[in-house]
Amino acid sequence: MTDTKVTRRNAIKGVIAAGAVSSAGYLFRTNTVMGQSSAPGSVERLITLEVNGTTRRVDVMKQETLAMTLRYKLGLTGTKLGCDRAECGACTVLIDDVPHYSCSVLTHTARGKKIQTVEGLASADGKLHPVQQGVVEEQGFQCAFCMSGFLMATVGFLKTNPNPTRQEMAHGVSGNLCRCQDYDKILTALMRGAELSRSA
Amino acid sequence: MPININGAAPAGLVVPKPTNPAEHKLVGKNYMTPDLMAKVQGKSKYAEDYRADGMLFVKLLLSPVPHGRVRSVDTSAALAMPGVKAIITVDDLPPPASSLTDAGVVIAANMKANRGLTNEPMYQGEPILAVCAESELIAAEAIEKIKIDIERLPFVVDPFVSLRPGGPNARVEGNCWVSPPPPAAVAGAPAGRGGRGAPPPQAEVKEIKWTDADYAEYESGKMPMGAPNTPEWKYGNLDAAFKNAALVLDETFMSPNTSHQCLETRSAMAYWQNGKVFVHTGTQSTAQTVPAIARWLGMVDEKKQPDVSKIVFISEYTGGGFGSKITGDISLIIPCILSKKLGGVPVMMRLTREEEHFMGKARPAVTGRVKVAFNKEGKILGMDMYGVCDSGCYDNQGDAQAAGRIASLLYQPEAMRLRTMTVITNTPPRVSQSAPGGMQAVAIIEPLLAKAARKLGVDPVEIHRINAPEGKAKFGPGAGPKQVRGYVTSAYLKQALDKGAEEFRWAERKAKSPQVQGNKVRGIGVSVSGYSGGSVGFDGLLLIKTDGTVCFQSGIGNLGTESMSDVHRVAAEMLGVPWDKCEICWGNTNKNLPWTCVSGGSQTTHAMTRSAYAVALDAKQKLKELAAKKFGGTPEGYDVANERVFRKGGGSGMTLAQAAQYAIEVGGVYDGHEPPADVNKMTKTSIAAMAGQGLVAAARDKAPHDGQTYSFAATFAEVEVDKETGKFHITDFLCIADVGTVIHPKALGGQVLGRSTLGIGHAIGQKWVYDQHYGLPLAKRFYNNKPPTILDVPAGSGNMNWAALDIPDPETPVGARGIGEPPVGGGCAAVLNAMSDALGDEIFRRAPLSADLILMSLETGKAAGEHLTAHV
Amino acid sequence: MAVIRDVMPAFELFQPATIDDALNLLDKHGSEAWVMAGGLDSFDWLKDRIKRPSVVVDLSQIKELTGVKEWNGGIEIGAMTTLTDVVRNPIVKEKFSILATGAESAASPQIRNQGTIGGNVSQDTRCWYYRSGWKCYRAGGNTCFADTPTAINREHAIMGASRCVAVNPSDSAPALIALDAKMVIRNKSGERVVDAENYFIGPALDIRRMTVLLPGDLLVAIRIPSTWAGAKFYFEKVRDRPVWDFPLVNIAAAMKVNGDNIESIRMAVNGVAAHPVRLTAVEASLVGKPRNAASADAAGQLAIQGAEPLRHNGYKVPLLRNLVKRAIRGVEEAKWA
Repeated sequence: MTDTKVTRRNAIKGVIAAGAVSSAGYLFRTNTVMGQSSAPGSVERLITLEVNGTTRRVDVMKQETLAMTLRYKLGLTGTKLGCDRAECGACTVLIDDVPHYSCSVLTHTARGKKIQTVEGLASADGKLHPVQQGVVEEQGFQCAFCMSGFLMATVGFLKTNPNPTRQEMAHGVSGNLCRCQDYDKILTALMRGAELSRSA
Repeated sequence: MPININGAAPAGLVVPKPTNPAEHKLVGKNYMTPDLMAKVQGKSKYAEDYRADGMLFVKLLLSPVPHGRVRSVDTSAALAMPGVKAIITVDDLPPPASSLTDAGVVIAANMKANRGLTNEPMYQGEPILAVCAESELIAAEAIEKIKIDIERLPFVVDPFVSLRPGGPNARVEGNCWVSPPPPAAVAGAPAGRGGRGAPPPQAEVKEIKWTDADYAEYESGKMPMGAPNTPEWKYGNLDAAFKNAALVLDETFMSPNTSHQCLETRSAMAYWQNGKVFVHTGTQSTAQTVPAIARWLGMVDEKKQPDVSKIVFISEYTGGGFGSKITGDISLIIPCILSKKLGGVPVMMRLTREEEHFMGKARPAVTGRVKVAFNKEGKILGMDMYGVCDSGCYDNQGDAQAAGRIASLLYQPEAMRLRTMTVITNTPPRVSQSAPGGMQAVAIIEPLLAKAARKLGVDPVEIHRINAPEGKAKFGPGAGPKQVRGYVTSAYLKQALDKGAEEFRWAERKAKSPQVQGNKVRGIGVSVSGYSGGSVGFDGLLLIKTDGTVCFQSGIGNLGTESMSDVHRVAAEMLGVPWDKCEICWGNTNKNLPWTCVSGGSQTTHAMTRSAYAVALDAKQKLKELAAKKFGGTPEGYDVANERVFRKGGGSGMTLAQAAQYAIEVGGVYDGHEPPADVNKMTKTSIAAMAGQGLVAAARDKAPHDGQTYSFAATFAEVEVDKETGKFHITDFLCIADVGTVIHPKALGGQVLGRSTLGIGHAIGQKWVYDQHYGLPLAKRFYNNKPPTILDVPAGSGNMNWAALDIPDPETPVGARGIGEPPVGGGCAAVLNAMSDALGDEIFRRAPLSADLILMSLETGKAAGEHLTAHV
Repeated sequence: MAVIRDVMPAFELFQPATIDDALNLLDKHGSEAWVMAGGLDSFDWLKDRIKRPSVVVDLSQIKELTGVKEWNGGIEIGAMTTLTDVVRNPIVKEKFSILATGAESAASPQIRNQGTIGGNVSQDTRCWYYRSGWKCYRAGGNTCFADTPTAINREHAIMGASRCVAVNPSDSAPALIALDAKMVIRNKSGERVVDAENYFIGPALDIRRMTVLLPGDLLVAIRIPSTWAGAKFYFEKVRDRPVWDFPLVNIAAAMKVNGDNIESIRMAVNGVAAHPVRLTAVEASLVGKPRNAASADAAGQLAIQGAEPLRHNGYKVPLLRNLVKRAIRGVEEAKWA
């Protein structure tokens, strides 16, 4: 590990753009950390992200993951941290319509891509996405900590297989854990969501 | 998925009629719970979702050793880092304080309990100190700058290693908890239940070692049975039972330690404002966490009662509890104390998954050796049970004792003895996990029962039926000079077995089983299961507002069981108020909540439907009294329905809205200015805060209740095993629940199958793994300790089913019993029994099963693996 | 210093757009540079703060590293092609389906959407002592914690141990070996092509790494010749849970038959040694033999010759034997009543 002296640096260049939460606590607010100056050819701290259809400019540390950026800098706490190690799916978001574990994506890698979180599922007028509607109708999920991850995994999966069997749906969301173990009811709800998506 | 069954009773047995769905408007119907919209849109906030200006962050320094004593800590370099605000150790936390409950029972300060931080870590991963900084990154780097010198102390992670002569002790003082005899016995006074004012005797740490003779059969997998640390109990004539037996089995079985693994870790955020502390964290009881916080923060009044006036607790959503967040978690005091130290600034302690593995609690493993005497029909004449419980490093776990009680209930042995030993180990703290002791009892005894069925030539469903409890079945040992045994309010387990056998086509499958096709084999198994299902005596509180809506105050934790909302449907139905005119008020103690039971022990549906019933009666009575006051006559001459109170037979009346307005005019007991005398202090405080807003109804559940409320399940499973690889999976699964009146079918189904799956996890892979030489855990990650995935259960094939008998419990208004815990043991043991049906009795002696164990057993012809080694 | 296993340390991040840019960066930063493909293996090390590179070279922006294209009748797969894209590729499915089966058995859908074939074959071992940061031989220390009488080594090696008993956890590796894949490696000095089975190394050669890649090297592509296109394939992965879990043992076989006889066969297993093992002796013994239970049994027995199980992984011996049998014989569909 490179031995550097930690020094206090002056103000961060660039600030959270409009639409973000207030001066909420930042996970990585300070830059009193070594390596945060930009070496020539390396990435810049200030990047543009497209999240739920809106373009946002965010100051992002190089080692920052998309989950942390969403939750701590963009006020989008619907995406949850269950393990931070790609083993539970609670942090699942869509990147270019494909489900990813946002805890295991560097925000810098998501730059220029279309990011969608659970907050972006309902339409602007508040109408629920068909998959959300399916959950409401079938009372899926209990503590619901895993729910947003399952919803995003399902929405992404349905784009590749809009008419799955129950077994195929189970495989489609197999990368999502539920500790309330509500799997059967969750599957029923997601299948209803798939049905509603087809007729939407 | 739910399947439809006709809950009619078999001929000859008199049982209350099942509830008729047509008679109910709300109870027994599905509906959208008030929190679902927020959840589905990602708007529900859990503890770590809260943000505040200037929020600081905490990272913890965890013990690298399984047992040690901190000799010195040098935090100077860490504190010198810009952005580091404070570092605290256990010395900065308030010392444990004694306090009094409302009933006048002292909860003594326990100096040996988990305090959140420690200078004598008892397990690898225990938090020693906490660093608070402007960012997690700074806090993490600060931790790495801390120089800490820890003196290593002897350690042990395996109870049977500790109990050996010369074996190490987990604590300096010894290796097990021993309770001194109750003071009444000592003083010669009549034995009773700890008496008002007398504290229950605190267990002490002592050393107990067994002898070499006790271990004579250890290598062959027979559990040693040395001196227990708790007095044994027994009833009936065990000697006669074994003398008269047609079959005696002596079996040892080991159940695993399984972490609760709530998907939401117990992160907590706290800040202080105007002398009050605001705490955000997950919990299984909003109401009861507050006095816990008060005790932990040393906020007790001059009468030594918890002073809750300076605490606001916010917990609208909790991501799972399963017994590990009964009243939050003591670690929440870390951000509370840091915030206080730093002038009240918000402090967020985000706990990682690895920290949750250490601090998030686990079910204690119980190893059982049971000697059972059967007659030739399979009836259990006698059961001699010994359970050894791995209690972790704190808190005497009662799982082995509970296992004995549950065994005596589910299998109704005519004579029984229970001995238990609870051993302290240098492993993370244990706590109740969904059916504590109950899960283990079933896991231990069911394989023995399945074996007995094979040896006796008795059908497995029949052997369960012949031993099943029914009616006011007795359980546990006798108490008092007449040795009176406790009994349950009701049990319809035989009906559950019958219904399940029919739905599962048991007889048809049994005739073919085990089915062999090449190197695949299928087997079927059945198990019973049960657990306590309801407490009594809690408060209901509601407000009828002047616009005619009804606000139900709910102190129940919202951890996904939906009871937070379901129970109030009872009151709404009794008042005749449509659900869309009802509001549930929950999740924030600033919102005037009543004293509520914890959502643990499967008590909520039972306890809080009783409270809902009581408060609905109170509201109806008040409405009638107000009507009589206003229109003349007596209250008995009035009725409440269709959002009105009106003279019977038609005539004068008013809407609920008008009644609420009138209540304010009348005041006194009607609008909360005079609370009932017998409700809890917390409820009275809430009533006072609501006074004058409308018609306030409040009542304590005092309805009669004869016996203890238990719920039951009959579980069936089919498995398929690949004998060339050892791999197996569940192909069919059914659970029939005997849980009284069904309040909310979809929620019930979620609990029945969800909790069954929790049990299934114990059979198919969840466990701890330790390197015993170093005393360090190896399986800390999900892919190592293996919580079940959606593909581990037959949900995808549509072969995962449930049903409820819907037979009301006669000892409780509404007839509803709790559900969370009863199915857990059955989920585990139905799978185990299906496996032994497929492969025979010489395959496994412990849970969980795994491909390696099965393959080696098939290769060697006898149960493979180290039967009594912990954590392998 | 005290230990904490959370919060990735800071590093300099480069996201080159071309292979040449990447190679220049690797050449410049040498052993200080960490190559990141999908990131799934990397983040475990970085989040646990066990490995602290000062430079991370993220390959995700290099378009020339992704995609499947025709090559000499076979195909060339860019090393940064995601596992999902490999699984779905029409040519892979049609001609080299064993690779699709193998890749699809890895991890979970989200991980496959991001994890790459290059990363999957180059990933580090999952020995839990090593992954927890214990200072073993592989980590630069001088002991092996998994190979002791008290160690828990259920998932470890039964052959090829040389001070280290860790295993290679890749599912695509044995499939690629069965297909006689070629690994295309580039560095500043040029390009070299290595047979798949020689891409992986054991502890006897270098206990610190799993593949031939040295600092400065980049795996850029995997070529699959047409040789085994459309052959009879067998892939099986035995693991605890049906998702996420790494293989206890897996097997991949490509076979050509002539009537009832085996004409030629390539077979590789993983999870039994620090590198995937190509069962050359078994292959040789099967040429010209009938494809029946007797040949399968003999092959299974041959495969486990010389296996040296540890305290907890003895099951891998019959498991390996049985998987070899099945690879030759196939598995019958069970027809349940």
